[in-house]
Amino acid sequence: MAASRTRLALVVTVAVAMVIVSLSGCAAESEPVDDSVDVTEPYRIGAVLSLTGTFAGLGEPEKKTIDMEVERINDAGGVHGRPIEVLIEDDATDAETAVAVTTRLLERGDIVAIIGATGTGGTMAMRQEIVRAGIPQVSVAGGTVITADFHPLVFQTPWSNSLVVPFTLRYLEEQGFYKIGLISDTGGFGKDGVEVIKEAIEGTDFELVAEESFNPGDTDMTAQLTLIRAADADVVVLWSAGREAATVAKNMAQLDFGIPLVGSHGNARIEFIEGAGEAAEDFVFAAGKILVPEAYGEDSEEYAVATDFIERYTERYGEAPDTFAGHAYDSLYIIVEAMQRLPEGFSPEDLRDEIEKTTGFVGIGGTFNYSETDHNGLTEDDLVMYRVSGGRWVLEER
Amino acid sequence: MHRNVDIKVAVLLGLIGASVFSVPLLTADRYMLRVLTFVGVNVIIVAGMALLFGYAGQVSLGHAAFYGIGAYASAHVVTVFGWPWVAGVAIAIVLTAAGGLLLALPSLRLRGHYLAMATLAFGEIMRVAFVEGKGVTGGPDGLSGIPFPSFLGIEVDSAGGNYWLVWSAAAAVLLIASNLVRSRAGRAMLALHGSEAGAMSCGMDLTGLKVRVFVISAAFAGLAGSLYAHVVGFISPSTFSLHVSVLLVAMAVLGGTRSLAGPVLAAVILTMIPFADAVIPGLSRSAVETIQEWQEDVYGLTIIAVMLFVPGGIAGALRRIAAKGSVR
Repeated sequence: MAASRTRLALVVTVAVAMVIVSLSGCAAESEPVDDSVDVTEPYRIGAVLSLTGTFAGLGEPEKKTIDMEVERINDAGGVHGRPIEVLIEDDATDAETAVAVTTRLLERGDIVAIIGATGTGGTMAMRQEIVRAGIPQVSVAGGTVITADFHPLVFQTPWSNSLVVPFTLRYLEEQGFYKIGLISDTGGFGKDGVEVIKEAIEGTDFELVAEESFNPGDTDMTAQLTLIRAADADVVVLWSAGREAATVAKNMAQLDFGIPLVGSHGNARIEFIEGAGEAAEDFVFAAGKILVPEAYGEDSEEYAVATDFIERYTERYGEAPDTFAGHAYDSLYIIVEAMQRLPEGFSPEDLRDEIEKTTGFVGIGGTFNYSETDHNGLTEDDLVMYRVSGGRWVLEER
Repeated sequence: MHRNVDIKVAVLLGLIGASVFSVPLLTADRYMLRVLTFVGVNVIIVAGMALLFGYAGQVSLGHAAFYGIGAYASAHVVTVFGWPWVAGVAIAIVLTAAGGLLLALPSLRLRGHYLAMATLAFGEIMRVAFVEGKGVTGGPDGLSGIPFPSFLGIEVDSAGGNYWLVWSAAAAVLLIASNLVRSRAGRAMLALHGSEAGAMSCGMDLTGLKVRVFVISAAFAGLAGSLYAHVVGFISPSTFSLHVSVLLVAMAVLGGTRSLAGPVLAAVILTMIPFADAVIPGLSRSAVETIQEWQEDVYGLTIIAVMLFVPGGIAGALRRIAAKGSVR
């Protein structure tokens, strides 16, 4: 009897839940999707960004950039006289949510392209939906895997480790640092970097004398650094995008290391300087030229684009844009400019082909040249070495 | 009287089955079907958690690991070895059951929060293994390009098809679980939950019973993992983190003890929280963002509030309502 009641209750609850769900879904469906007061229907682009969760600090500037630039594009007449609209969904830095919200965007049936996701995990998880819908995707995540695991529909805008690592190694070579003590995080960015570094130094004069790692969230790296010092390294190379990077710099200062610390584009954030304080001085890393636009040369187009963006962003939001804002800018304009080159009534397939034809696009991350085999589009020329000096970024003298 | 109830149950079962399975016929909204498919996956895991927590009274903070083992095992053999999907599911179930057995044999001699600690450690070890075992798991980049489920040469690639597949599995799992709790083993589990010493003094093989329940719940999680991997097509370590284990415990706690219906309903509710706008038409985007921002807090507060104010959870509340109804 009691057992029957258990089963009865079970059955009832599931049924009620499902019926409610399906009915409300039907109700939602029958409602006309109509928010177009203006006569001309906008072109709609979907964006999957991490506005909450671990990557909220990246998704926020990305969203701000998109909001600002969409206004600018529409003020200038939009595309083919039609406005553009970017529908931003929050994936909460969660792969499952990224899939679900991508489904929702594509379900509308009027999305021409997708920007995102903020993280590599989300970007990869969305792929099945993207492929099924045949819609081009321009990711703002930096994982090498995104374009290395090649798909014709998937593009990305940040510099990948496979670009930054050889560039950084060339700098180390110039400086005569051959014995590398490597320290990285166990997250995706750090692990990817270590792998690319190991591959790149194979058969060269470089020697990996120590290889240490730490977990995201760790608060002390003294033990790992002591081992690196014992290995008699010329230089400590740090590959991590997390806030733990500042701890590495601080620990090195405490241990009075006496050898330089070289990082990566993952540390091109003001949080690193704020977090490490004094210890951030003389920290060297490679990144795109947006941090010090003078790197482009003051009469270049790149300089004009970057300073214009920095000025408008700073005026509107009261803070300077970081590299993540730049990735969002590049993704949006790569899509929009491809749309503008196409005649009205293009298909998603046409748009994909046109995005692939992007050449010489001057963005914030660099100058993009996509091709049938390269969906990252940047080269080492878009990178520059920085040194932290007096609490700000200056160009490293080479 | 008893016969009457059985007929009513049979009719209701048919009705519910029909309504659950008719959802893809009523709507073509792939977003909603996706979300409900994720609900189905969680219902499968929670059925196991209900047996483990609600009946046998054991707390596991490591079930995300079994979920992950199932997902990786199935994805690996199908994607890398080219095995058929059905074999992938079978491997997922066998491996997680074996893993559950290996973990259960030593650790189920522990009680209460010691067991919770052991399973917590197991979950953490497996999370590191998913990240480091690049050859099998793809490391932090995860495994992508996992094919859709297919059997008898038919690929289940539509949102509706996936929904049916997952909910069929959920129905099978719930049937197994509901039969189990009505059997001798079910009564033994309740005795164990009531008083471990009391049950032991009646001559029950408690360790054997706990191991069996643990293995079954691990296998359910493995099955769910396999389904998830093939439905989404991509898996990475973050999907199987401690956060998921805690969410599963929250579902079991909110659902209440000695019940399958309670935890199932809790799974439906808690899975839907971040997707509230799928079922509440007109809910604004910023409202959903706020909900997502507070999601973890909602789970935590739910556990605390249920423990403090409604120890019986949803099941207890349902039972109270039923009792009031029968007093007349």
